[in-house]
Amino acid sequence: MLRVATDIGGTFTDVVYIRNNSIHQAKCDTVYPHFEQGVINALVKTNLTCSDIDFFAHGTTIVINTLTERTGAVTGLITTRGFRDVLEIARGDTPDIYNVYYQKPKPFVPRYLRCEITERVNHKGEIITPLAENEIEPIIDQFQAEGVTAIAICFLHSYANPEHERTAMALIKKKWPTVAVVTSYQVCREQREYERTNTAALSAYVLPQTDAYIEKLVSKLSKRGLRCTPYIMQSNGGITTAAHARTHPIALIESGPVGGILGAASYAKLIGVPDIIALDIGGTTAKCALIQDGHIPITTEYVIEKTPTSSGYPIKTPVIDLVEIGNGGGSIAWIDSAHALHVGPHSAGSNPGPVAYGRGGEKPTTTDANLYTGCINADNFVGGTVRPDRERIEQAFQSLGDQLGVSAMEAAQGVIQIANANMVNALKLVSVNRGYDPRDFVLIAFGGGGAMHATALASELSIPKVIIPPHAGVFSAWGMLMLDLRRDYILAMQAQLTPANLPVLAQHYQQLTHEARDDFKRDGFSDHQIRDERYIDARYIGQGHTVRIAVNTGEINDGWLTQSIATFHSEHEKAFTFRLDSIIEVVNIHLVSFGLVDKSECPEIARVTSAQATPFSERRVDFAQYGVYSTSIYKRTDLSPGMVINGPAIIEEETTTTAVLPHNQLELDRFGGLHISINSPDITN
Amino acid sequence: MFIALKRSSMSPVIYEALDYGIGITDAQGRLIAQGNGIPAFIGTLDGAVQSIINKHGLEAIHPDDIFIQNSPYEGGGTHLSDVCMLKPVFYHQQLVAWTACKAHWTEIGGKDAGSVSADTTEIFQEGLFFPGIKIFERKQPNQALIDLIRANVRLPDMTLGDMWSSIAALQVGERRFIELLNKYSLDVVLAAIETMLDHAEAMVVKKLKQLPKGTFKAEDIIDSDGIGNGPFRIAVTVTISDDYVTMDYTGTDAQVPGPINMSYGGLISAAREVFMGIVDPGVPANDGCFRRIQLICPPHTLCSATHPAAVSSYYDVMVYAADVVRKALANALPGKLLAGQYGAVCTVIIAGHHTKNQHDTPFILVQPLAGGWGGGADKDGESGQFCLGNGETRNIPVEVTESCYDVLVQQYALHYPGQGIGAGQQRGGRGIVLDYLALSDISASILFSREETPPWPIQGAHSGSCNYACVINQKGEQEHFTRKQVHIKKGETIRMVTGSGAGWGMPNKRPHDLIKSDIKNEWITREEAHNIYHYPLQ
Repeated sequence: MLRVATDIGGTFTDVVYIRNNSIHQAKCDTVYPHFEQGVINALVKTNLTCSDIDFFAHGTTIVINTLTERTGAVTGLITTRGFRDVLEIARGDTPDIYNVYYQKPKPFVPRYLRCEITERVNHKGEIITPLAENEIEPIIDQFQAEGVTAIAICFLHSYANPEHERTAMALIKKKWPTVAVVTSYQVCREQREYERTNTAALSAYVLPQTDAYIEKLVSKLSKRGLRCTPYIMQSNGGITTAAHARTHPIALIESGPVGGILGAASYAKLIGVPDIIALDIGGTTAKCALIQDGHIPITTEYVIEKTPTSSGYPIKTPVIDLVEIGNGGGSIAWIDSAHALHVGPHSAGSNPGPVAYGRGGEKPTTTDANLYTGCINADNFVGGTVRPDRERIEQAFQSLGDQLGVSAMEAAQGVIQIANANMVNALKLVSVNRGYDPRDFVLIAFGGGGAMHATALASELSIPKVIIPPHAGVFSAWGMLMLDLRRDYILAMQAQLTPANLPVLAQHYQQLTHEARDDFKRDGFSDHQIRDERYIDARYIGQGHTVRIAVNTGEINDGWLTQSIATFHSEHEKAFTFRLDSIIEVVNIHLVSFGLVDKSECPEIARVTSAQATPFSERRVDFAQYGVYSTSIYKRTDLSPGMVINGPAIIEEETTTTAVLPHNQLELDRFGGLHISINSPDITN
Repeated sequence: MFIALKRSSMSPVIYEALDYGIGITDAQGRLIAQGNGIPAFIGTLDGAVQSIINKHGLEAIHPDDIFIQNSPYEGGGTHLSDVCMLKPVFYHQQLVAWTACKAHWTEIGGKDAGSVSADTTEIFQEGLFFPGIKIFERKQPNQALIDLIRANVRLPDMTLGDMWSSIAALQVGERRFIELLNKYSLDVVLAAIETMLDHAEAMVVKKLKQLPKGTFKAEDIIDSDGIGNGPFRIAVTVTISDDYVTMDYTGTDAQVPGPINMSYGGLISAAREVFMGIVDPGVPANDGCFRRIQLICPPHTLCSATHPAAVSSYYDVMVYAADVVRKALANALPGKLLAGQYGAVCTVIIAGHHTKNQHDTPFILVQPLAGGWGGGADKDGESGQFCLGNGETRNIPVEVTESCYDVLVQQYALHYPGQGIGAGQQRGGRGIVLDYLALSDISASILFSREETPPWPIQGAHSGSCNYACVINQKGEQEHFTRKQVHIKKGETIRMVTGSGAGWGMPNKRPHDLIKSDIKNEWITREEAHNIYHYPLQ
């Protein structure tokens, strides 16, 4: 068996493959704008023969790049008469509340390309005004004259009755077969017209380019002999066929970043740890997600380009619920006008990069601080390819320290502490803020910087254990080798959770299940290869926001109802500290169907008995508030299950460095994952 | 805290309009941190804590007490609908902080559904008045008080639902604060708070040095009090020095018979809001920032109303009070301030009965409306945005409106006022037009200000337009009005139109490529382009 996963990042394109139970990796530069060529280059570097590949998965940033760089199609929107400005009015909010100079995010479809058509459906799905089919042709003429290549259709209440959207799409396709068309019903069946219109518009906007990209990728791969169907990573935590991805591109929006979170979930399952917080620290950002009992949290309240000073653009597609902050290895340290130290969100990127790169960067970054304090090995920096300029780093921290009235070393420590505080905040957002106690979770950290900061973050939050999985540096790609196909079916409906409504709930679930079976059948899956999960978005009657609960997949009867109601009360209490004796109302039902594929085995490492780990060197490391120690340095490849290392220690590998703090204790699991027990003394004393 | 309240609330005005604020003060009531949906509550929480301490005395404040207060005339109060709940935080038997939240409850009783009126003349008509009393004493709910609330409001489940959401927010805040104390110790946390407040003040002082110094004056006209009186004058003299921003409202007219009066608590919020905007210190608002504000206003004015003035529609005067400062400074701070906006919260309250459910249940829809902002020195005004001072308020989606209330929305669009309104080198943004077709008989209270005096332009641009509503029936569009309650029969439509913002700079300086794009996007007609902007007709 040969299984391959590729992941395109901003700087590198990673390949991870498993052959005969051993894992290999390769990295190539990402090729702009011909990303598929980067994938091919990386494959060539591995010397793999494409025709030997049994499974091929791919994570791509094409969709998010097309959106953020505004390089998508000229898109037209067709909407219900009276509502073409919905996209421009948006929600009317000013998140930067004191800033009267606020600028609203500009719609992706300008006003002259937003056309209205006579039709109307009410919230029950009843047609009040039939679709004026004769109005479509003049709109097509106008769009053609304006160079439109993609069309979004969004009518009011189409979640309740999509007939008009379907008819309009069919009419357009008949008259203009080459244009890309997306209906809101295909991408989102939830209430709230602005969010749904925006989702449809952005889907259309990215469709032509994504379609072309995947087509090129597939054809280049098959020319090289690939025989299996390539799978594409989706934001919902599953993979899908290339053919399906081409028609549903918006589902790929977080295709890249979620791979690592899923990898952490799979790894946790493999070693039998149900409750984890996954933390991915890269060059410019850190991302984290909380996974309880193996359930990966999914949200449809996803917004791109949302900042404290901008509303951004909502996209109602299922995305793994993660928190991302502008803090990574390249985050720049700076001082405000009242002499307070900050780190990030601006990043030095890879050019000029941290001061240590010697490419002209003068502003100290988190990575520089980790080098200066001795946590990162100067001799093995960026895999030994860069010789950091210690003098320049010292100067940078000296100048920072001068402004703060402290030494260069204290300034560097301050940078690490502030970076950690920012990341602790992000970890609290996914745990404490949602009613979870971080002490009940294990922190699985990866990405280039995860292993470096994880133990300090865990100490701060009293998390008892940190795990650094194997291949932590290229974990996103590895994660993709562990996944099933996944499709989310969400349908808005308003029904009270009462015995009288059981038939209608059952009927709607059945409708979604049929839809799912049909979709998977087209991909060649039979019923026994499909696994379902069911969720409900519900609220106490009168509330505006919902709580998502998992409900069981068995028969929808009185027992099912009792259990679902009990789950809702306890989840509501967990999130909001109280429960009410009110009727519960269902707002959306949600079916998740997995098409099961064979997974790779993760290779085990032979256990050694009572072997002492041997450090390969020793150096002075400043662990800030934990003290300065002469510290043993180990190579990860020298470690085996059965060994125990007491902190302080540093574990080095090609793509990352693990800091083991004083009082921490490290052991290995059978796959070589590093398990670090924190045992930290109370740092305040 | 902020999220707990929003997501568990029963009121669209809380969960969509985000008409609430939450915060933590120290034991004496100095604001440490506040989370806001809207800036309007920034002046209210610390004042509320201080008024509770003054009234009860420290010896009568116990762990697990919860206070409720909505007095408009003290403690940072605004109107009765804005209900403040406060909880003292004790640590080892010592009072160390307060968690507080203030939220607009949809129903608090009074003469009109929704508790915000167009025509009240004294506070006693406006709803339940909680003068800083305990609703929980040592964890025990005051059931008599809760029963009293239930008996005096029109939608008791919603009102009490809002109360529980508020309590949830207080408890979350208290829990987090105690976690901090456990982790870092009381001494460390208190020292950190002092440092944080001092740092905020230092940031403010740095920014003050960069502002233009001097004295700036402005006036504006408040057209009516809703019951036939007016116009009224609101006046301010702003002085910016290296150390302070002083806002002096001397010269503003006396409090009025109608319900538009604002108490001093609202004025504090307005002053803090506009101060944070112009100073832009780069730190979250806290007590340290506010040390550099000097606020002057004699008592009994429109901006400092006293008992028993009617105040239920106070919020438009709050917008005027902040806007008049921005008007005074606009020319001195280009790139930071704008020409005049539609300038009112534009509240609509629709009440009726559901006929679509099996049960005939009453409904009340309270919502503010978005409108047009003024142009700036280098940008056009924003269109369809909630008024300055409304912060993160969001509109209620059409699909939600139709599912919850007995109306069919016929259009929700940007309004075209024509006649060169808002024209300028940078033009004003557009207001909206929103049409509700009544599916059963309903009543609508329209509470729009800025009905006659349009938004003010800057440097030779054109004014914006005013807000209005009208009923459309078989006979067509009826006369425009701005403040009244109307009954709308099934099959009639109520149309609500908000104003467009004023422009900035001479229209003839507007670049032709922008005018071309304006025509293409139907922001202006070709004739308007020709007549106002001197753009070739061809």
